[in-house]
Amino acid sequence: MDALGGTFSRIVSIALLGAVTGALAALAAIGFVELVATLNDWFFISPRSRFMAENAQWLLFATIGVPAAGGLIVGIIHRYNPDRRSHGPPDVIQAVQSLEPRMSLRSGVLSAAASAVSLGAGASVGQYGPLTHLGATLGSLVAGRARNSRWMVTVGVGCGVAAAISTAFNAPIAGIVFAHEVILRHYSLRAFAPITVAATVGYVFANVVFERPPLFRVETVDASSAPEFIGFVAIGVCGAFVAVLYMRAILCSTRLARRVPVPDYLKPMLAGAALGLAALWIPDILGLGKETLRFAVIDHAFGAGELLLLLVAKILATAMCIGFGFAGGVFSPALLIGILFGALAGSGAEVILGELYSEVAIYAICGMVAVTSAVIGAPLTTILIVFELTRNYDLATAAMVSVVFSNLVSYRIFGRSLFDVQLRMRGFDLADGRHKAILDQRLLKDYVSLDFTALSPNAPLDEAKRRLLEAGRHEGYVVDANGIYLGTVTLGELETKQTGDVRGPKLTAGQLARPEPLILTARTTVWHAMEQMGDFVGESIPVLEDSGDGRLLGVVFEATVVRAYLDTTNSIREEENAGG
Amino acid sequence: MNVRLTVRCVALSIALFGPAGTAAGDASDEPDRTITVATWGGPYERSQVKAYFEPFTKTTGIRVRTERYDGGLLELRRQASAGEITWDVVDMTMADNRAACRQGLLEPIDHAMLLPGLDGTPADQDFLDGALTECGVSQIVYAMVAAYNRDAFPGERPARIADIFDVQRFPGKRALQKAPAANLEWALMSYGVPREDLYELLSTERGLRLAFRKLDRIRDHVIWWTSTDEPVDLLVTGKVAIASQYNGRLFDAAVIHGHPIEIIWDAQLYEFGTWGVVRGSPRREEALEFIRFATGTGPLADQAGYISYGPTRRSSARLVSTHAEIGVDMRPHLPTSSANFTTAIPKDTEWYASLHDRIRARFDEWLGQSESGHTGLATADALPERQDDRSDQ
Repeated sequence: MDALGGTFSRIVSIALLGAVTGALAALAAIGFVELVATLNDWFFISPRSRFMAENAQWLLFATIGVPAAGGLIVGIIHRYNPDRRSHGPPDVIQAVQSLEPRMSLRSGVLSAAASAVSLGAGASVGQYGPLTHLGATLGSLVAGRARNSRWMVTVGVGCGVAAAISTAFNAPIAGIVFAHEVILRHYSLRAFAPITVAATVGYVFANVVFERPPLFRVETVDASSAPEFIGFVAIGVCGAFVAVLYMRAILCSTRLARRVPVPDYLKPMLAGAALGLAALWIPDILGLGKETLRFAVIDHAFGAGELLLLLVAKILATAMCIGFGFAGGVFSPALLIGILFGALAGSGAEVILGELYSEVAIYAICGMVAVTSAVIGAPLTTILIVFELTRNYDLATAAMVSVVFSNLVSYRIFGRSLFDVQLRMRGFDLADGRHKAILDQRLLKDYVSLDFTALSPNAPLDEAKRRLLEAGRHEGYVVDANGIYLGTVTLGELETKQTGDVRGPKLTAGQLARPEPLILTARTTVWHAMEQMGDFVGESIPVLEDSGDGRLLGVVFEATVVRAYLDTTNSIREEENAGG
Repeated sequence: MNVRLTVRCVALSIALFGPAGTAAGDASDEPDRTITVATWGGPYERSQVKAYFEPFTKTTGIRVRTERYDGGLLELRRQASAGEITWDVVDMTMADNRAACRQGLLEPIDHAMLLPGLDGTPADQDFLDGALTECGVSQIVYAMVAAYNRDAFPGERPARIADIFDVQRFPGKRALQKAPAANLEWALMSYGVPREDLYELLSTERGLRLAFRKLDRIRDHVIWWTSTDEPVDLLVTGKVAIASQYNGRLFDAAVIHGHPIEIIWDAQLYEFGTWGVVRGSPRREEALEFIRFATGTGPLADQAGYISYGPTRRSSARLVSTHAEIGVDMRPHLPTSSANFTTAIPKDTEWYASLHDRIRARFDEWLGQSESGHTGLATADALPERQDDRSDQ
């Protein structure tokens, strides 16, 4: 009976975790999206409000002033955020992958606020990144309340992310897959069940309770013909290059921004003013660009030249906004850049083929998913988003072709995703697996033991031997008065020298000491130590301080390093293979 | 402001509702227990007498006297500046209601005072989205729709709004209103743009360009109408195959008079008729009581038994049955019936209120590019072409 009761309460708590997180994340997502739309209406960012504005001069002032003022507010909010920046999907990925899934509430709230201001003021950034992070924060909060265990928090984070994506896109299956593909990066039944509950709750909130219109709708797209599939492959390959260009522009702009001699909190304001100035000429680059997304699927809504201009302008605007510190995601701009590229490809195909068999919409959508999936590293999610939004099997099949080729190419020339590359630049490299990334984060200084025998260089050998025997050790570390490590002496060597050279000059430990073949420092990572330890035979490894002057911090035992490795892989295995 | 609206509404009122009626309530012995309702006359007012005024007087003892209202804000402004408030309740278009509210001519209305639906649904959920405004409670939904003469299409008949732009499949002249409203929405919607996005897209240069590009395709097949008397005549006489028109008039022509006219409900452009309470009315409490009564589930449903305008409450829509006099089932003829309403476009009255001059100028500029000069029958009986110029400042 007890076992049955335990099972029952476990099932209830898992379902509750999914349902509560799903509801909270969905409400937060809807609230966030509504808030951004309202701010856009108030501050002359949305086309409708710009068009209705009666005073042209005031509109001109607002176009430059609003993004600049928004930038200033974002800069000020960032001063209160840990790391002085807004957090987003990479931080969620890192938290979950490094087995420290608890998200900071403060950072979650401040990041969401900064993103809402950025988007509200028309910055060219995305909304799904902030929603993902907000969902993750709420999931972590709910799970932390429910029970204090790590896997619960991990699952909670997954639930929050899935619900946020499910709500924002009206696409529950894409939400579930996104949480697994991008955040958790493994499937376990224990996580799958609550995440599914959360995504479904999100979908119900979006559709039944609030009746949100979907992100975009494609009325009819006819089945495509065989020769065009070659075109979709080409769109995939070229889309990868567009995606890489976009991601490199973001990274480049981030580096550039660091070199600009202006206080950090003023940088977003500069970017905002520049964006506003450019928007006087090309208003399409302001904000999320939902209207441009819509136009791109209409035949001949743009000329080829317009498409190219907008494509380049949107890449530059987004790179500038993100690089110079606006808070927000990279997903929505990628959708727009991709759909413009796809429409451009459609115009190109029309020139080559004479007449398109399919509508331009199918090209535009293939371009959209090709670019987006490469940027966020989520091929399955993007295919599912298309399928769930359009419910069109032919379109999803065409999109699938573009997506896989895009991911193949971009993985080779850039990396799995912008998120992964950003994490690698922060020293968290997931390319060789999760255990490596985790162990690469753990520094030896946390495993250092003071359990060793230090010998003065002037100590006579017999004294050294006596002390080692007393301590029951085989190795002694010769350290001078300043704590500098000079070398190691072993009990065996002491024995040999003492008995072999009785009549010789009286040796000291310092003379006998030889540096160990393997010396590590405080900042050596556990992963690095593991790799180095392969040929090591000995009792313990000396660990020097990080200062570089050779002072001995302590020693680390091989067993400690091995245990750290095993603990990590065990935790990972436990999490990834957990059942219900 | 808003003489432009005024004049437009004069036209609208004549078109929609016909000649004015007279006082609806009984002659009053107790002036303090009589409210004055300004409304549009004709069969429309008669439907209000039957569904609202008579039952209200019977229930509360408060009599209802009506005065003719033809839209706009002029009379309200005159009463306000003269300090003689003689109207208590006024039946306005949503756009006028918003404008009057902004200018302080109407009392704000606390929607919490409204009755819940008969099924218990709270009022704010029972009313259609957008039906409740700061100073208004909407009571009817009327729509601009496209309609065709069945005789013009013996084979395939147009069913979607995109079909009116397809002169190959559906040949024949079109009669469209010489105004941007409805034409721009329908043009853009025929590209597959969802109705939620229409006004955002029409707010961009590209959106307008696309809409006009679509209208270009039928430019030579259009007869532009300016008076709502024209389209039904044009349809019935076979001068055009397809025409745009308010749905009430089409009901009258097709059902009451038996003409072979069929409505394309796809992309109907609907708006609200709205009650407001005149600011400074000495009978404010009675006026609010009237609105509370008249916008209940029952009276709203009853009105649709006399005229084919839809009730603004969901709970009323379910109760609508047959025409009180000719016994026709009214439900299929209402803009709000679920089959007709699935692709309905809510007219963005705020957008039109702010943009009227500019959007009109763009439309006229496009019209001016027309060499062939198909300006229709706009000259003979109708209102001057720029009837709706703003002049009440």
